[in-house]
Amino acid sequence: MSLPLAALGTLAWRNLWRNHRRTLIMLAAIAIGVWAMIFMAALMRGMTDQMVRNGLQTLPGELQLHQRDYRRDPSVVNSMEPPAGELLQVLQSAPVAGWAGRVRVPAVISSERGSRSVTLLGIDPEAEQALGSLPEDLFEGRGLEGKGDRGLVIGASLARRLETALGKRVVIMSQDPDNNVAERGARVVGIYRGRLQGDEDRFVYAGRAAVQELLGIGQQISEIAVSGNDYRRVDEWYPRIAAAAGSGLETLTWTELDPFLGSMLAVQDGFTLVFMVVVFLALSFGLVNTLVMAIFERVREIGLMQALGMRPGLILGQIMLESLFLLCLGLVAGNLLAVLTIAPLASGIDISSVAQGMEMMGMSATLYPALHVQDMLMSTAVVIILGLLASLAPAWRASRLDPVAALTRD
Amino acid sequence: MSDIACRELCKTFHQGGETITALDHVSLDIEEGSFVCLFGPSGSGKTTLLNALGGLDTPDSGAITVGGQRLDGLSRGELADLRLHNIGFVFQAYNLITVLTARENVEFIMQVQGVPAGERRALATRVLEEVGLAGLEGRRPGELSGGQQQRVAVARAIATSPALVLADEPTANLDSRSAAQLMDLFVTLNKERGVTFVISTHDARVMGYARRLIGMRDGLIVSDEQQQPHAMDV
Amino acid sequence: MNVTWVLAWRNLWRHRRRTWLTVAAMVFSNILLIFLVSLQLGSYQMMIDGSLAAFTGHIQIQHRDYHEQQHMYQDVPAVVDLATRVRALPGVEAASARAEAFALASSAERSFGILLTGVQPRFEPAVSTFPGKLREGRYLRDGDEQAIVIGAVLAQNLKVAVGDELTFLGSGRDGSFAAGVATVIGIIDSGLEEVDRSMAQVPLGWFQQVFAMGDAGHAVVVRAPSVDQVQATASALRSQPAPTGELVVLDWETLVPGLRQAIQSDMTSAWFTYGVLVVLVAFGVLNTQLMSVLERTREFGVMLALGMSPGRLARLVGIETLLLAGLGLGLGLVGGGLLSWYLSVAGFIYPGVEEMMERFMLGGRIYPEVSAVSMLIGPAAVFVGAMLAALYPALRLFRLRPVAAMQVA
Repeated sequence: MSLPLAALGTLAWRNLWRNHRRTLIMLAAIAIGVWAMIFMAALMRGMTDQMVRNGLQTLPGELQLHQRDYRRDPSVVNSMEPPAGELLQVLQSAPVAGWAGRVRVPAVISSERGSRSVTLLGIDPEAEQALGSLPEDLFEGRGLEGKGDRGLVIGASLARRLETALGKRVVIMSQDPDNNVAERGARVVGIYRGRLQGDEDRFVYAGRAAVQELLGIGQQISEIAVSGNDYRRVDEWYPRIAAAAGSGLETLTWTELDPFLGSMLAVQDGFTLVFMVVVFLALSFGLVNTLVMAIFERVREIGLMQALGMRPGLILGQIMLESLFLLCLGLVAGNLLAVLTIAPLASGIDISSVAQGMEMMGMSATLYPALHVQDMLMSTAVVIILGLLASLAPAWRASRLDPVAALTRD
Repeated sequence: MSDIACRELCKTFHQGGETITALDHVSLDIEEGSFVCLFGPSGSGKTTLLNALGGLDTPDSGAITVGGQRLDGLSRGELADLRLHNIGFVFQAYNLITVLTARENVEFIMQVQGVPAGERRALATRVLEEVGLAGLEGRRPGELSGGQQQRVAVARAIATSPALVLADEPTANLDSRSAAQLMDLFVTLNKERGVTFVISTHDARVMGYARRLIGMRDGLIVSDEQQQPHAMDV
Repeated sequence: MNVTWVLAWRNLWRHRRRTWLTVAAMVFSNILLIFLVSLQLGSYQMMIDGSLAAFTGHIQIQHRDYHEQQHMYQDVPAVVDLATRVRALPGVEAASARAEAFALASSAERSFGILLTGVQPRFEPAVSTFPGKLREGRYLRDGDEQAIVIGAVLAQNLKVAVGDELTFLGSGRDGSFAAGVATVIGIIDSGLEEVDRSMAQVPLGWFQQVFAMGDAGHAVVVRAPSVDQVQATASALRSQPAPTGELVVLDWETLVPGLRQAIQSDMTSAWFTYGVLVVLVAFGVLNTQLMSVLERTREFGVMLALGMSPGRLARLVGIETLLLAGLGLGLGLVGGGLLSWYLSVAGFIYPGVEEMMERFMLGGRIYPEVSAVSMLIGPAAVFVGAMLAALYPALRLFRLRPVAAMQVA
């Protein structure tokens, strides 16, 4: 039996507007629900996006290579040679957007007024640029000028705690491969403000060659950080690099390097879906109610249609179609509303009042809601699928009405 | 094909602790092309019989054959198809789908049958003209008088060329003039197209049109006679 | 019972299914709200308890600049005596003295920066959960010297085990060179990688010797009987005569400002969710009540014609809504209460977010907090929302004209 969709469509559409007040109220409810779904998803996505990005800038990179034992024993002993041959070739070809070899060692930094334990990063500033891993906000002094730079760039908070200042000398202490204390005086050439205050206390930047010299490790480095500029697609190019790196090196993606960060994405998707379903459930009572009422009002007409020879399936289809129209209209309105309310917030929502709390979650003080087509589609899917499921019960009852009883109802 | 045969139809209802016998072992044959009137007081079982003939209501026992097709054992869907293609219904009131115009009401069933749009339109225009509603095709039921509404219902019933039209008190809500017009229309269709009509009524004006008059009381057929039809006085 | 109420109750059941669906929407939202609010409050409670119990404590007495600058010389003089006196005060469950220094710890093979804490072995377990998370060896005892307890990750990084020696280098209170050698007697596995990477504890007395602290320390850590009583205890402490003018009493909100803010930011998104739920339910009630008014236009017309005032009719609709909302409230409270009560006993697990919970010091299970606030705030909002939603249908009655109304089919 072919479904006479045109006939049912006209009927469903006109029936929808029979009681326009009720339909409009329900439409408003669906629109608000859909708006809330998308708005919440955009906030969540903005939040996770930022957390992941900040995390990746701190890591840095979406992929890191280390000497096989480095992660278990992050000592200078477990350093590796700079990339060469095939690995170098892979690193220099697309889709790799940037890579940097860095020395990363635990160290103690001391001024005459105090000492703190920090992570000393020996970097090549040019290479780091591509990773976006350098502090963006240089608050005093200058940045490092090449890998041979002998100065230090430290965080503003660390400077405060050490009671040191730009131009002053501090002592940096670490360990060479033979476990001797390697120690050197260095001048603070720059003071940065970190994205997160924790970073300011933790990371001290120095020229890579200068650190290599301090530690006596020649050209060796601790890690290679690689970025392809899209953290969602690392899995596509990860195997090529892992293969080129060979078994002496450990190649890990960001989800493995920072499981917290990795779990964020899954948690966010899960939470968004749960939120959408919950909002929909709250809506579904109204939806079912509307349909039940709409059917109640035209029981007689449904009896008539049965008498005219409409199969139960067609009656069911007609009501489902009516529900579908209602849902679609609500979706259009809700999506529109979401786009209109999220667009003006694109420049960010200031949440600095809770900045330190957000920092615990790896976020900064401005939240950028991110409207993704994917979330709009997800809300559409939730509303349509669950909406039709919820409509099934009243529609089924309508199609099963006893025609004689229906016709004689007044 | 529209020969109707009923054998030993029984149907009871329970209402307020009482058992009402709507059909009490009713047996009846109606030949194709008949123009039959069922008459009797309210509760005599006319409507129940009519509904049973159209497969809307299922008797407790007994067998109905319409055009050689046994109705018992058919599913709801199959019964619906039977009505869709072979049987037209005209009720006392509320015959039309309120959200559709007169034309759409007529076209609707054809649309469900799958008649192509062009053919459908032409046919709808023709039958609406035939029932005297040319020019009112675009009105919705609320904008038509009771008589006009009934005529749209007839137009719809005959547009699909059913072999059988079942009408349940079609004139009950009409003034004499409209009632006469409607009955004239039935007679014309019966004569020119050979459509079988079974009409239930307790309106004496209507009974005059019938060639066969079947009287019912308490679920029993109490009289069954042929007569010379005569139009009512308006 | 007043006849209006009886009428309202009967009217409610004219459309059984519609009424139940509307009530069901309210019950659903109420249960959900009770569940979410009590879960939320419960997890905040656990977050606060967990974070503070780990190490920070509820209150600390410090030099007034130490929290900001953390210089060795910003000390608390005679810290052990102060701790002893504080311990005896009412509203103080436990108190322990601490001193802290950053140092470079070296084993035979490796060196790492650590945060070395001098603790009172006898009192530390009462203000911190770390001593209880010992994985190997034993915790410090009074009288121990040259003994150190370190975090598990640090032990791994330094490649040391219980019994091995560690050297640590740092600066003393006066800026002088400070060095010590200690034997690892215990390894703590707190489960927090950040903590286990740098934590090291030694007896306070020995710490004071090595770092030239004299009898000074950096903090007296105080535990109040519960988080709710922190403010009371803090004010009690503040009212005590201070040994020097430089000491301050800091509560946990100052010590860990991120915690309160994390809770606030979480609350903001939670309120959004609650608001949406309440609004959606209100729309449902609006729809139901508007329908019920519209379908009775004729009946209301008759009542107006009989001399009933529109105000009385509006009151009738109001009472109907009140009964409807009351039904939703009652059933919602029962359902939500049972659910929360069950979960507050059995606990609730968020699947798949262990990493996130660990960061906020939450164990695997959350126990919702069942209190008057968590039970009533959501359902009350739904109730108010429902009553507000009935305003429009009720006000429409004042526009009703009897003759026109009676002609409505």
